[in-house]
Amino acid sequence: MNFPLLLHFVRKDLIDRHAASALGALWTLLLPLSNILIFTLVFSRIMGARLETMGMEYLGSYGYSVYLVTGLLAWICFSATMTRITDVYHEKAGLITKVRISLISLPIYVVISETIVYLISMSFFVIFLLLIDFNWSIYWLWLPVIFLTQQILAYGLGLVFAILSVFLRDVKEIVNVGTQFWFWLTPIVYVSTIIPENWSVIFVLNPIYHTTKAYRDTLILGQNPDFMGLGIVAMLGLSLLAFGVYLGRHVERDIRDFL
Amino acid sequence: MIEVNAVTKTFKLYHRPADRLREIIFRRPLHTPYMALDNISLKVNRGETLGIIGRNGAGKSTLMKILNNVLLPDSGTIISHGRVTALLELGTGFDSSISGLQNIRANGLLLGMTEAEIGARQDAIIDFAELGQFIDEPLRTYSSGMTMRLAFAIAIHADPETFLIDEALSVGDGNFQQKCMRRIHEFRQQGGSIVFVSHDLNAVKMICDRVIVLNHGKMAVQAEPEEAVNYYNQILAGEQKDYEILGGKKNGYGTHKVKISCVRATGEDSGGDILSSGENLILTVTMKGNADIATITLGMMIRDRFGQDIFGTNSHFMDFPLSIKSGEKREIRLIMPMSLAPGKYTITLALHEGADHTNECYHWWDNALHFEVSGIRGHNFNGVCNLSPSIEAS
Repeated sequence: MNFPLLLHFVRKDLIDRHAASALGALWTLLLPLSNILIFTLVFSRIMGARLETMGMEYLGSYGYSVYLVTGLLAWICFSATMTRITDVYHEKAGLITKVRISLISLPIYVVISETIVYLISMSFFVIFLLLIDFNWSIYWLWLPVIFLTQQILAYGLGLVFAILSVFLRDVKEIVNVGTQFWFWLTPIVYVSTIIPENWSVIFVLNPIYHTTKAYRDTLILGQNPDFMGLGIVAMLGLSLLAFGVYLGRHVERDIRDFL
Repeated sequence: MIEVNAVTKTFKLYHRPADRLREIIFRRPLHTPYMALDNISLKVNRGETLGIIGRNGAGKSTLMKILNNVLLPDSGTIISHGRVTALLELGTGFDSSISGLQNIRANGLLLGMTEAEIGARQDAIIDFAELGQFIDEPLRTYSSGMTMRLAFAIAIHADPETFLIDEALSVGDGNFQQKCMRRIHEFRQQGGSIVFVSHDLNAVKMICDRVIVLNHGKMAVQAEPEEAVNYYNQILAGEQKDYEILGGKKNGYGTHKVKISCVRATGEDSGGDILSSGENLILTVTMKGNADIATITLGMMIRDRFGQDIFGTNSHFMDFPLSIKSGEKREIRLIMPMSLAPGKYTITLALHEGADHTNECYHWWDNALHFEVSGIRGHNFNGVCNLSPSIEAS
């Protein structure tokens, strides 16, 4: 698929989708903002005390907000990328059945679109951090690396789910429900230490736990991420993507017939 | 130029799409194969127009989708030089919430045009679609005619090597249609190839150089337009029964002393109820007597699609007295050169006493059957009928 067409899809996704509403593309940012507000109001008291023992005491009363936002914005981007790719063939069925479009690279527009939303949300977060005299560190350079790892995983998983959902419509709902569980099984709004020690295997097996932890290690605590964990997630993402591409090539004829 | 070699396409019909997954996992077939295209080969040269006709489900759309690379064949190859643009369904990918101008860009990209090409042809597209300042309004404010005009304008300006047209020429009013036809003509003269699918047999005869008839996924015939259309009509006729009279109001009214039991209108050469202007129409009427009647008049009236009387006559005018005995069946054949213009017509039939039906009407049957004139033999003409003039100059 050529680049201008990809950009057109991104533009359509970000702007034209909201062309008829008064606030337009602003709605894309209001969802993460409302989530941040809700979770801050509900959890900041409960979690705040625990955070102070984890090297975040210098942030004072903003500690929980900073902790939450570093994890939550990335999660919203990850889950939106994955779930929206899962549905991409049905959403674009009208085009796929009429115009020649590569099935493998079509989902890239979702990845780009959600990445732009993330970058915009993050820039607001950076402004907020500037206002509260945040301790910046060189470890922020890790951010694109961790983010790339996460998006490759989202693309790979989404692609596999998207192919499966052509044959089994339930996949979309399963992914939606699964994403809810996944969210609460990852220490995004809560602190990992509130979970009993012997349950921690759930975290170790959860790739997003590793990326979330990596964001916090680098952005907030100013230290290197866990290379091992991050590396494994990257490998997992790449293998899923490779599997998705293989699967897609293998059943492309069937996908086109079914749509 | 586009060339198709031995293309076969089978659809696997599953009860549920999920069965395809189970098939992959358990490695046993769970589908019923349906052969949509069976060993199709064709070639459309530069500047040539190929028509594809066939009944619903004959494989026309599948073939078009394969030519457009949207579906992949099981076997066989497709070779095309240059861009292939399809006018499959007008306005694919149009977004009603954005302006016409933005839609030109979006649609152009989908059709494979580059940004530069779109920029350069934008004004020509707007001009061709006759949209004027409406181009900056959102598409939802357009009438359906305006949307279609815009879609056609974009597609024709995409400047493809091969143009696929699927039942899409009934765009806009007569003026715009003529403009489209002129543009298509220019396109062919510049060496563009066209594959044209339509049920409008008249249009097929008008613009195609060659026609392929598809029947149940097989290529039934590839021939000159008229020959192919006649062949197609035979396929159609083979699956249509004669108009048997079963009684009841819809088969007309009258005293039924003598009844029309069977009627048929066929082209002398086409053998079906679609014929060319200039061909002979054979109207066969079978009547059955329920009493002995000495003087019967058989009358007929051809009406056009607006219900206007076009031509009518009867056996009385023609000095051909008819009679029948009780229980007897007689077949009467009227042979007339079909000098009418292309279009759809109906025939109303009547059996009555004397010159008209006011004395005693035995059987009056409105719109007993219909036929279609499609394409013109010999010189083209305008209007409702062909007066076949000769021309001299001094």
